[in-house]
Amino acid sequence: MRRLGSVILARSALATLALGVAGVLYGFPIYWLVVTSLKSKAELFASSVHLVPHQPTLAAYSSVLIDRGFWVLLKNSVIVCFSTVVVTLVVGLLITYPLTRLPVPARLRVGVLNWALSLRFLPPIAVVIPYFAIVRTLQIYDEPIALIGIYSLFNLPFAIWMLKGFLTEIPLELEDAALVDGATRWVAFWRVLLPLAAPGVMAAGIIIFTFAWSEFLFALILTATPNAQTFPVGVQGLVTQFEIIWNDMAAAGVIAMALPLILMVIGRRYIVAGLTFGVIREK
Amino acid sequence: MRAGRRRLSRDERLAYLILLPALAAVFAIVTIPFVLVIIQSLSTQDGTFVGSINYSRALGNPLLYEAIRSTGVYTLIVLPIEILLGLGFALLVHRTVRRVGLRAAIYVLAIMPLVVPPVAIGVVARLIYAPGYGVLNVILDRVGIMHQEINWLGDPTLAMLAVASVDVWQWTPFVYLVLFSGLQTVPRESVEAAQLDGAGGWAQFRYIDLHYLRPLFVLIIFFRLADVLRVFDHVFILTGGGPGTATQLLSLYMYRVEFKFFDTGQAAALAVVVLVSFSLLYALIARVLPLERA
Repeated sequence: MRRLGSVILARSALATLALGVAGVLYGFPIYWLVVTSLKSKAELFASSVHLVPHQPTLAAYSSVLIDRGFWVLLKNSVIVCFSTVVVTLVVGLLITYPLTRLPVPARLRVGVLNWALSLRFLPPIAVVIPYFAIVRTLQIYDEPIALIGIYSLFNLPFAIWMLKGFLTEIPLELEDAALVDGATRWVAFWRVLLPLAAPGVMAAGIIIFTFAWSEFLFALILTATPNAQTFPVGVQGLVTQFEIIWNDMAAAGVIAMALPLILMVIGRRYIVAGLTFGVIREK
Repeated sequence: MRAGRRRLSRDERLAYLILLPALAAVFAIVTIPFVLVIIQSLSTQDGTFVGSINYSRALGNPLLYEAIRSTGVYTLIVLPIEILLGLGFALLVHRTVRRVGLRAAIYVLAIMPLVVPPVAIGVVARLIYAPGYGVLNVILDRVGIMHQEINWLGDPTLAMLAVASVDVWQWTPFVYLVLFSGLQTVPRESVEAAQLDGAGGWAQFRYIDLHYLRPLFVLIIFFRLADVLRVFDHVFILTGGGPGTATQLLSLYMYRVEFKFFDTGQAAALAVVVLVSFSLLYALIARVLPLERA
């Protein structure tokens, strides 16, 4: 019994230690990012690196957003992400509604789901090479619509699997009751199914938004000017310059992180479900 | 009876009426680039047909094999570490942390890295590893371990480790979350029965937990592999593929061929080769994936 007790004690000591180490490894880099963003230019040139800012200032934020004009990129990001969410959800519902609510052969349903899953393995860099040529031909290079199209495509597999999960959970009888009462399919969908599925659809939308927000490769390749460049492309521009302005770069990093983290507070219960195509459910 | 059947067939017709246009559109959007990339790979920039020259150029380029090697090394560093660390943490929290509040707090903290843009994490990594302002050297110096400036991003091996560390930082929590929720499906009775039989922690893991976690390992490997093979963002920010070509993973290499050397023929040939080999890889893994396909 005493052995058991000491095992438990050793375990909880180990757990505390491990959680502490993890806390430092995750906390400190974020601390350093925020601290750097709060330093003034003068402090960056101090002879020794300060671990705590001596005169915190928001100058770097106004420098990034206003002087460098990054608020335009922020606006582009929001437009692109929001449109992506709408397109992906609409197409996703058009595909998953018949699959889950209407009589279709099981083979078709499994086939569509498997096909969507295989798209998850599609390497973006291999797709962007022909897509780039298409975008040039259609003359939508450096236009937000080029990004919206490809983002919607790459988020679709995930939307299909998530929406399928949410729709199957809603009993068919509820819609049938409405149909028996004389409602049309459309009314039953709009008035009965969609309100019930709303939390799930919202969650899928939030997650698609954060994915699109993070996307970098397509945005780097398919845009050239502030007409369509998204925020991550702007961040990249600050990083690869010859002389890096550390506080501006850090402020841009903080801004890029902020929105997904805020949205995550709303969508937190669904993130892991989304990332694993609905296999992992949080209760 | 007849009315019922007629309604059924009307529903079926509605199903195809909605489904077919949507699927056809998506199918076309996916397929057109595939066809185009095959055409590109068989022709020169101006569209003359050249047969397999682009393929022999792409496959004969030693840089390709370096890129494949780097991608392999990166995968072999990142996947085992993420799985082992994630598993270790999942077991530790599952067995020692009982307080619901603390578990919930760990959950929220663990999903944070998953939603943050890799570009921003690349920025953070830069602030840590870069020469001059990088805080890692500063800390090593203040603590008194090292007084010499280490060029983390200038040495091929260290640069690879630095790039891999970013992946481990961002994605270990994902492995943890999946495995932790897997551990919660292990029935309490079988654990208690095993404990009564005197099974230690290891035996419990080996004979009970592992049985429930096995399908989740397949799942983790599938999703992580899909992402690791396409890694671009944080490497582009942190090292840009350097020093030399030490961290030039497959995506970065293909990016360079198309958008720095403007060699579309070769890039398209590479894309075709990558698409084919990824499809084969996908076919291998997808069969054993524990997804609800119904």
